[in-house]
Amino acid sequence: MKYLIVIISILSMFFTQIVNVSAQNSIDQFEVQVDGLGCPFCAYGLEKKFKELKGIDEVVIEMETGVMTFSYPTDAMLTMETVENQVDAAGYTAVNVKVIRADGSEEFTKSIEAVEVSEDALVAETIEVQGNCGMCKARIEKAAKAVAGVTEADWNKKTKLLEVVFDSSLTSIGDIDSAVVMSGHDTQAGRADDNIYEALPGCCQYERVK
Amino acid sequence: MNSCNSVNNVIEFQSTIDLGKSTPIGMANMDGHVWVSDGDNNMLLHIDQNGQYINVYEDFDRPMHLSANDGKVYVPEYGKDQITILEPDSRSALMLSESLDAPASIDVTSRYIGIADFYNHRVLFFNGLDWVQVGAKGHNKGELYYPTDVQVLKDRIFVADAYNNRVQVYTHEGQHLLTIAEDDKLNAATGLYVTQMHLYVTDFENDRVLIYSHQGSLIQVLDENLSKPTDVLQVGNEIWISNYGSKSINRYAQYRIE
Repeated sequence: MKYLIVIISILSMFFTQIVNVSAQNSIDQFEVQVDGLGCPFCAYGLEKKFKELKGIDEVVIEMETGVMTFSYPTDAMLTMETVENQVDAAGYTAVNVKVIRADGSEEFTKSIEAVEVSEDALVAETIEVQGNCGMCKARIEKAAKAVAGVTEADWNKKTKLLEVVFDSSLTSIGDIDSAVVMSGHDTQAGRADDNIYEALPGCCQYERVK
Repeated sequence: MNSCNSVNNVIEFQSTIDLGKSTPIGMANMDGHVWVSDGDNNMLLHIDQNGQYINVYEDFDRPMHLSANDGKVYVPEYGKDQITILEPDSRSALMLSESLDAPASIDVTSRYIGIADFYNHRVLFFNGLDWVQVGAKGHNKGELYYPTDVQVLKDRIFVADAYNNRVQVYTHEGQHLLTIAEDDKLNAATGLYVTQMHLYVTDFENDRVLIYSHQGSLIQVLDENLSKPTDVLQVGNEIWISNYGSKSINRYAQYRIE
């Protein structure tokens, strides 16, 4: 009888460990490279808001590197696209997203498909874009670079000027301007939708010309 | 207006304290020693008047603008929606009937308490008997948009109305008295400090600190040696300014000792 109890105890411990391993494995680990984390009040706040999402756990933002990590239950089937959209909607600019699924497989965000540009058709132009901070800079430049044919984008916080280099046979300064406006930033030619502007983090809500 | 070449200058740059990897947000003075909150690294630094470390306290959740009073350090934990009271041998939470959403600052005096409640766009003020709400979300006079710092005087409350890019002044009853700095093109008024004669305002994104009279007249603009300034503090005869960007504290001599 004594031996039986010992064996049952050992088996019980063994199965408990298996269950624990299984529980640990039902979690996906996400790593998001975030750009533009300049303002601590917004960055800490956004970290805080992420912690409030149902099911999310272990949210940590390393301010120095801009890497945000968190875990999420596998059965929730959180996609890379949803993460990127969620990060962008929260005011961050997600550069790369990596997830290690519970089964050990890894996924990465697809980088913007490179379009072949013609060196002869490359032109440089400048447009005025409203914004306040490092988070604005990341968002503006990402919006511009997402336009097929744009090879460079650099926004200056002090001058408010966005310098872009693009293939004029593939896109135009008007298209780039529209893409930037769609991200919530007014330009000389366009005004961002009020709802998109209002959804920007507080530090990014630049003074608008009425 | 620069910190030099003006007869009206209040302070003059002296030296810098390098904080290593620490990113200062708020500072408080107690018994001649300075407490500094390090938001990125979730800790408090306790340093002497020469910037030498006395101790480090860890395991805070995004500590912000601090206050020190009667042997206690009051720490707003932005990520935890709580004010933690740090004493030599213990930590406890300040009990409040209202819930906070990202407390960014606290000021505790022998009689009053002010708390900047960032995501609720308000300041909570304890007048010795009751809690009074000061301000509400908005952009008009008296309204607040993400307040990040507060200081309570015996007859007034000064609030850094961060993303309205100004400072607002209220009575203890919560009535709006004055708006300061709204024409000075601030880009996030993230911190303030009121001395006997002056109001210091940190202009975070523009790397400036502006010095006003209590009535709002601009006296001096500091625009050198600053990098994302977050707070100002009087330490003995000096004024200290914390730089989030360069992980340092600047020390300034005062022309007129207050």
